[in-house]
Amino acid sequence: MSPSLLLQSVLSGLTNGFVYGLIGLGLASIFRGTRIINAMQGDFALIGGITAALLLERFGWPMAPAFAAAVVVGGIAGWLMEVLLIRPLRRRGGSEDSYLLLTLGVAFAVSALVLYAVGRDSHLLPGLGGEGIVVVGDAAIRTHALWLIAISLATMGALRVFFAKTALGLSMMAAALDAEGALTTGIDVPLMRTLTFVLGGLVGGLAGVLVGPLVTVYFDMGLLLTLKGFAAAILGGLANPMGAIVGGVTLGLLESLAIVTVSSGYKDVIAMAILIVIMIAMPNGLLGRRLRKGG
Amino acid sequence: MTMGMETVDPLLQVAAVSHSFGGLHVLRAVDFGVPAGSLTGLIGPNGAGKSTLFNIISGFLRPQRGTVRFEGRDITRDPVQTRTRAGLVRTFQTPKVFGKLSVRENLMIGCYRHLASGVVGNMLHSRRSRLELELMHVQAAEAGERFGLSEVMERPAAQVPAGMQRLVELARGYVSRPRLLMLDEPSSGLNTKEIGQLRELLQRLNREGITILLVSHDMQLVDVASRVHVLCFGSIIASGAMAQIKQDERVRQAYLGV
Amino acid sequence: MSPLRRALVWGIPFLVWATLPFVATRHIVDLLVFAGLYTIAGLGVAFLLGQCGIVSLAQSVFYGIGAYCTAWFCAHKGLPSPVGVAAGIALSTGIAALVGWPILRLSGHFLALATLALGIIGQVLFLEWDWLTGGTLGIGGIPRIAPFGFAFDTPLRFYFLVWPIALLLLVLHHNLLHSRSGLALRAMRDSPEAAAALGVDIHKLKVQMFMLSAALGSTAGSLFAHYVTFVSVDSFAIDRAISFLLLAVLGGVYTVWGPVLGALFITVLPQWLSRLGDIHAFVFAAALIAAVILLPEGFGGAIRNWWRTRAAK
Repeated sequence: MSPSLLLQSVLSGLTNGFVYGLIGLGLASIFRGTRIINAMQGDFALIGGITAALLLERFGWPMAPAFAAAVVVGGIAGWLMEVLLIRPLRRRGGSEDSYLLLTLGVAFAVSALVLYAVGRDSHLLPGLGGEGIVVVGDAAIRTHALWLIAISLATMGALRVFFAKTALGLSMMAAALDAEGALTTGIDVPLMRTLTFVLGGLVGGLAGVLVGPLVTVYFDMGLLLTLKGFAAAILGGLANPMGAIVGGVTLGLLESLAIVTVSSGYKDVIAMAILIVIMIAMPNGLLGRRLRKGG
Repeated sequence: MTMGMETVDPLLQVAAVSHSFGGLHVLRAVDFGVPAGSLTGLIGPNGAGKSTLFNIISGFLRPQRGTVRFEGRDITRDPVQTRTRAGLVRTFQTPKVFGKLSVRENLMIGCYRHLASGVVGNMLHSRRSRLELELMHVQAAEAGERFGLSEVMERPAAQVPAGMQRLVELARGYVSRPRLLMLDEPSSGLNTKEIGQLRELLQRLNREGITILLVSHDMQLVDVASRVHVLCFGSIIASGAMAQIKQDERVRQAYLGV
Repeated sequence: MSPLRRALVWGIPFLVWATLPFVATRHIVDLLVFAGLYTIAGLGVAFLLGQCGIVSLAQSVFYGIGAYCTAWFCAHKGLPSPVGVAAGIALSTGIAALVGWPILRLSGHFLALATLALGIIGQVLFLEWDWLTGGTLGIGGIPRIAPFGFAFDTPLRFYFLVWPIALLLLVLHHNLLHSRSGLALRAMRDSPEAAAALGVDIHKLKVQMFMLSAALGSTAGSLFAHYVTFVSVDSFAIDRAISFLLLAVLGGVYTVWGPVLGALFITVLPQWLSRLGDIHAFVFAAALIAAVILLPEGFGGAIRNWWRTRAAK
């Protein structure tokens, strides 16, 4: 394998990796906040991407407002899901399986809705920095990809600060760690849970908007993205959402290497196999602290 | 029924078992044996390490050092169900009955360890499968009567009062025809009268030939044992008949001074 | 129940079942055949969820294995249909054992997502290994099941093949639930520690159940192949696995006959909705969500509970 091919694959692996990392970040944040595995995290990305595509293509919005609106819509979707669906289930005493089935159901529903409303076409979003590319040695990376990486890192940093330093962030953490205790100190725990989903929706929507220019947005993209994001989150250690970025990059690089050594049709098989192996062999991830077995 | 100084291997032999959690040494080179046919007690104040030792013997925890032998075989690394199939049956401090199953079904499950019909046989309702099911019914009914549970046989186990749940667990253990029955703090939550009844029950079971290891911090209950080991801060500080133990200076300090 | 009542409770549904295909249109009978096939595959998913608490999205893989084994042994090699079915079951249970052993140690979410990952792996492999499966071009010319010259080649005839098989499997499943194994499964669900402490090898039991589930999926797949005589990858994608899970949850995973209701629902519903276009996927998903929140025991459970409260009065 030539060095330039290797370099190219590293660059694309890095790019994909940050997307997986963002999805994983959303997943891990929701899990940490509510102990629910959100099987529709990838579909938040779909929602964000499709919203941006529709605003740009059908309503002629300029890029920046469209992207911003798409992210917000992701957050709204998270809010709706928590309030309309998760809460009633919680009131009725949902078991672990039922939450998973619920989020799976919503994932399918969103995918089906997009299929019905928009069809099977893929939509390519315009990238930040347009079609520009940056040359690195013998390989090239799109300007947009660099933006993606930068924004992902910035998001990670912002979230870190948010959870550690702001009153709201600390309240959310407190509500997650000890709901009863948090209630007694006046924290509105149900609201914190809702906000956790809103946050997940925002991060997911952001991921959709960032990945859209690279791989197109289409109705079926959610599930696979969720699984890869999940792999990223586990690799990074579910207890530590920031680790998801590291996990995602690792996964992206492994996937890219696999594509150039094996054929590209097997890309998803390899990612899924990696996911399974990670779950079995390293449930606490590369960075995570020692926890009891996952889930 | 006490065996004399063991010329025969004890049914259960715990040898040099040590375990620590983090930096805390919970058990230090614990050695003791349970002779076949005996009613042996393991007592000690709270925090002595009894639960940890219990979990190590029953397979819910692997010791960092030491061995556990049952009927001469080393079972230290065996999973829980393997030990049970060998005849080592335990109860839990808070009775773990199968809440959604009826009392009858709880007792029926007790038979599991000594039956063998497989999944396919069960699907096809093979002769063996049907015979085993009948056997389970019969033994459950018999145990239900013995333990005074006849009135509640059809009730879901979760809806039976706590004291009775303990009886259900005990009856379930009895149905499994254990070679060694290990009881984990069986008197917690019971009043004096109930403890007295429990003592009688245990004596009866032991007279029938069931070897019993009783782990408790309750001196009144453990009185029924023929031989008692005292665990304190992770080591056995005294072993012997109950009367002796009560006089032992170190034991009194352990219970009063801690 | 008096003998007369018993005769009515069993007899009337039987009569309805037996005469229905003669009065309904060919199209409806075709749907009912699919309902039968899905009942079998869905049963596998349902009992795994209901008895073991395992959400499985891998059933489409075993369905496909059953179909392709039948295609291979019966279409390519010209062997009789039982060979295809047996090969499918052998391969499916083998893979279930091999893959199940490590992944069934995982708990809850991890396990469900692992089965989803398996479903995707299966989907991609069916597509990529086109030397085996024919890829999107598929394999055709699968012979009909035809013992002693009587070919099950029309929907009507196949109806009377698939439903007795489904019924038989339901009976076997019922037997399983009311046996030592069934009791162990319920105990395992209720309190795994206590079950282990009574000698139940939980992991082994889960693997066995997973293998059983795979065998059911494979059987359904083989029958499917013999019915449609042409199979291609589109039938074995993740959305198929989703349908199976959906019908299991909708029908109810705590009753033996729940899958029948679920299967009828998902085969008949698209009929009614076909006027609206591609909306049925969304309606299915919405139904799943509604079932999870409002009817956690599915239609079957709701009916059974209603029946019980009536009986109590």
